[in-house]
Amino acid sequence: MLEPLYQDIFKAFLPELILAGTVLFVLLFDLGWLSDAPMARRRTVAGGLSFLGCLAAFFLCFRSQLEIRLSQGMLNVDSLSLLLVSVILVLTGISILLAIESLESPHVGEFFSIILLATIGLLILVSSENMLMIFLGMELTSLSLYILTAFDKRRVQSIEAALKYFLFGGLSAAVLLFGLSLIYSTTGETDLKEVYWILIAKGPLPIGVLGMIMVIAGFGFKIAAVPFHLWAPETYEGAPAPSAAFIASVSKVAGFMVTAKFLLVGLFGMMGSAAWYLIRPGWAPILAVMAAFSMVLGNFAAIRQVGLRRLLAYSAIAHSGYMLLGIISQNSGARGALIYYVTTYAAAMIGAFAVVHLLESQRGNDRLSSLRGLFQSSPVTSLCFGVFIFSLAGIPPLAGFFGKFYLFAEALEPASGVFGLFWLVGLAVITSVVSFYYYLKVLKQVFVMEAMPDTRSFATPPFTPFILVLIASGILLLGCFPHWFTRLIEPAMKAHGF
Amino acid sequence: MEPFFIVKNLWLIPGLPIGAALVITFMGSKRKSAAYGLSVACLALSAVLSFWAFSVVSGHEGISQNVDGSAEIHEDEAEADAGNVFRQTHNFTWISIGFEKIEFGWVLDPLTAVMIAMVSFVALLIFIYSGEYMKQDPRFTRFFAFLSLFTGSMLGVVISNSFLLFFIFWELVGLSSFLLIGFWYHKPSAVAASQKAFLVTRIGDFGLLIGMILLTSSAGNFLFYDEGKGCLETQALLDLLGPAAIGGLTIAGLISLLVFFGAMSKSGQVPFHVWLPDAMEGPTPVSALIHAATMVAAGVFLVARLFPLFDLDPTFVSGVSPSLSVVTWVGAITAFYAACVAVAQTDIKRILAYSTVSQLGYMMMALGVGGVAAGMFHLITHAFFKALLFLGAGSVIHGSHDEQDIRKMGGLRTLMPKTFQVYAIGMLALTGFPFLFSGFWSKEEILTTALHWPASKIPFLLGLCGAFLTAFYMSRQMIYVFHGKNRQQSGSGSIHESPGSMVIPMAVLAAFAVGLSVIGTPIWPWFEGFITGHPVPFRIGELFHLSHLALMVGSTALVFGGYFLAWKIYGSAQSLGENHPDRLSSYQPWLFGFLNRQCHVDELYQKIFVKPFFEIGQFCRTVEEKWNHSLTSIVSAVTLMISWCCRWVDDWLINPGFDYICDRSRRVAGRLSVLQNGQIQNYLRVGGLAIAFLMVIYVLGGMI
Repeated sequence: MLEPLYQDIFKAFLPELILAGTVLFVLLFDLGWLSDAPMARRRTVAGGLSFLGCLAAFFLCFRSQLEIRLSQGMLNVDSLSLLLVSVILVLTGISILLAIESLESPHVGEFFSIILLATIGLLILVSSENMLMIFLGMELTSLSLYILTAFDKRRVQSIEAALKYFLFGGLSAAVLLFGLSLIYSTTGETDLKEVYWILIAKGPLPIGVLGMIMVIAGFGFKIAAVPFHLWAPETYEGAPAPSAAFIASVSKVAGFMVTAKFLLVGLFGMMGSAAWYLIRPGWAPILAVMAAFSMVLGNFAAIRQVGLRRLLAYSAIAHSGYMLLGIISQNSGARGALIYYVTTYAAAMIGAFAVVHLLESQRGNDRLSSLRGLFQSSPVTSLCFGVFIFSLAGIPPLAGFFGKFYLFAEALEPASGVFGLFWLVGLAVITSVVSFYYYLKVLKQVFVMEAMPDTRSFATPPFTPFILVLIASGILLLGCFPHWFTRLIEPAMKAHGF
Repeated sequence: MEPFFIVKNLWLIPGLPIGAALVITFMGSKRKSAAYGLSVACLALSAVLSFWAFSVVSGHEGISQNVDGSAEIHEDEAEADAGNVFRQTHNFTWISIGFEKIEFGWVLDPLTAVMIAMVSFVALLIFIYSGEYMKQDPRFTRFFAFLSLFTGSMLGVVISNSFLLFFIFWELVGLSSFLLIGFWYHKPSAVAASQKAFLVTRIGDFGLLIGMILLTSSAGNFLFYDEGKGCLETQALLDLLGPAAIGGLTIAGLISLLVFFGAMSKSGQVPFHVWLPDAMEGPTPVSALIHAATMVAAGVFLVARLFPLFDLDPTFVSGVSPSLSVVTWVGAITAFYAACVAVAQTDIKRILAYSTVSQLGYMMMALGVGGVAAGMFHLITHAFFKALLFLGAGSVIHGSHDEQDIRKMGGLRTLMPKTFQVYAIGMLALTGFPFLFSGFWSKEEILTTALHWPASKIPFLLGLCGAFLTAFYMSRQMIYVFHGKNRQQSGSGSIHESPGSMVIPMAVLAAFAVGLSVIGTPIWPWFEGFITGHPVPFRIGELFHLSHLALMVGSTALVFGGYFLAWKIYGSAQSLGENHPDRLSSYQPWLFGFLNRQCHVDELYQKIFVKPFFEIGQFCRTVEEKWNHSLTSIVSAVTLMISWCCRWVDDWLINPGFDYICDRSRRVAGRLSVLQNGQIQNYLRVGGLAIAFLMVIYVLGGMI
């Protein structure tokens, strides 16, 4: 293999480098020159700079034709990874814009720079094909997210949630690393492509199987799939709203993509089959069981919640269950559907958490009952919230509907047999019907119930509604014209051959 | 040939008890009957599987096809050709790093078959017995978990086809024996005994480990049998004969001596025998298990398993390989020495313990002079009657309220009639009462082969003396325990016969102690044929072969002499009793004391090994205190100084606001610890269990 040119390395890492530069700039501006400025201005400058950094990186990657593979797959830049990087950058940008008005902490510069650091980790996760780099990206992301969760350090819930998140994350990182080392010990390689060939040549070894299971456990934490979901409700509940939005959306996109990549590139030989007529051991049946549990547990637990955050947390677990379908299916088209689904899901989740934040800042808590009569006092916010919730529930013509339809249809596609995953897709459909109940329960509070007589009016900050409308219209448009997005996904998928 | 189903699933035999042990561990200490039922059921299932495996081996064509006569031809071939032995293996790769791989596997051959059948069956009876014996113990479930682990590990040792797997199970046997000997850990003597057992066997394991590394690295394969490539197969063995190691030994000789270290320590051969008598501190069923079926048999089994290696004769002339001579001499000396010591013991279990050491010496001697068949036959017969004797001793101890001193017993013949009957059968089998008992035939076989050993006749003579002494000390014990009047101070009224669940296992064992003689008589040595793979016909004339007959008459005379002498010395009522000195000690007080103190071996070891190590430890401690202490105090003073400076800088130069924030977050953390404590532990526990759960899904996926 040729020695990579330094120029290539630079090109491949450019998005990450831009973000890293932005981090330094933000810190410099915020702590250096603006430290005495009023909060609002500090937030605007720091947030604006971070957004610009994301934007610059986005324009660099979006529709770029770059193809570089650094030695051992340390960084594998191709059309697919560039597409995912762009998606992550867009979602991060939106989260940053929302955070400008919803951030309550005095540590402005730190908040935005840590979000950007987490994003760098996520970019590495989606664009590396090397076990070591993936682990490093995972750690960079996780450590940043722990800090983000603890950012409201005056609030006990925030600290507690962060501690729990950290402990659980530490355990799963250890398990993941152990799994990676076991896989390395069987193959002697860290490059996922090489790992694939060696595992194919050697057949399933017990130690490799153990490694695979530990890797699944490590990633299962990242995507909050049952039984590694325990941290999610507490973290979503305790974290500051902008952090929770970031954890629930952007980090999940990368989490799913890296899981899919690891299993489908590195461990493809151990896939097995979860088809009902042909169950073969491998990661597919394991993920299938995790998916089934996630759907059932997430949707049913969400019904019982009285807090909006916890409700969203459990629905996120359920969504993880649906999205696992995209990895389990043997049909490679399902991977494209997964990208579509996770992106639109993340957008809706960011929006929903923005509304949660508005609600908390106005009413002091996130109870469903606090939503009563929101439509009368704040119609724009309510309509946008309706779009997010409907999209999460999967009601046409919103993006969430098309995402579900696309994903389930691709999962059923007879790639190697007739309707092999029928049982799991059937379960997904049934549980998503269950989910209508609690989503509609939320919307009933907003649109149907009368406001309490003593509630104050609902004041929204000036800028946030614009962004909410932007996200909502994006969801609506992608629902009506899904090919705007799928058109980008399909060639990338083809080029990659996932 | 496609391996039999049972061969592929041989792992179930150790797997079931070990699995039971795990389940019981997690079950909690309240569910006694569930723990008991589970361990017995699992072991019973293993026993069924073992007998299945046994029947597969014994029904195999290689054994049965040539039964039609032509014994002479097979006799001649016996030395050269062992190809007729039924042997099937199931191997798989455990770890592979790059192109190096470590393989595991199990093997089913006559040796394995006979061992798994014996171990699982005898252990099953001991399990049933223990259910009653340990009924009152608060850690009942723990006991059965350990017991299952112990038996499972031993079964694992027996089926292993990979030296590494063998070693893992071997160490598990050591570990579980440690746990069981020290089971009553509130008794300091039990703790000391368990440590002693563990450390002494560990010394031998060190030799075994080096031997294993040498063998597997020179053969390039961890497997014993691997279709011609295994480390016990002809090719590898011939390679081992070539290179010379230290002191004129071949590398094969060196390896087998190192391995024999391990066998010696596990099987209590002189000079490693010291742990075995102390191991009596454990509950009696444990002693029965250690002495009959599991631990000590492992050492003998190790030599039997590696017999092709031991048997390598670099000169190809004398017919006696150097390693086997060592085995023979060690065995013979152990057999004689332990029998001597047993004469002067007063604890019922210690007498049996020394008799085990002595019998193990016979087994080793048999392996050395006569090959696998002779040694294994004695191992099997001994397992049954020694288990019987220990269970009988347990019954006696149980019935007379934890009294172990034979001088305080007596008269139990009428008080515990059933125990007396089965114990008598065990004693007659052990001493080799002619014709009826299995012990007689296995002992006869050993003595016959020892007589024909070309190198020396001394082992044979030592064996004969041992036989005489065995008859003597066992009769002495019988007379003390069962004869005369009861001498317990609390009176004999409360002494009771043991309940059925203790007596029935003993009765079954007694039946086997008698019945096993059928398969090993010179008339029809089925067992020998089974082990060597050369079928033997029914030859009634063999019994009346002159050498056989002479030896039989001679040794029988010696045994009866032993009985008679014991009766003469101890038979009269007034010679017994706690307050009377032992008759022997009044004849030869010095000799009796010497033997009673086990020839002062313990004291010797204390002086030679323990004391110096203790001194070294003391010396290190002094050095540590004098030198290091002053050094560390200087370092710590300097560090303290630096830290004072730092603290000053911190307090006055760095913004005190930092402290303020720390204070706040500390208070938050304080409140946090009050909030919802104990939950995250649960989360992490669930996370850990979930991984196991995923594993189960994977395995289930393979079963559907």
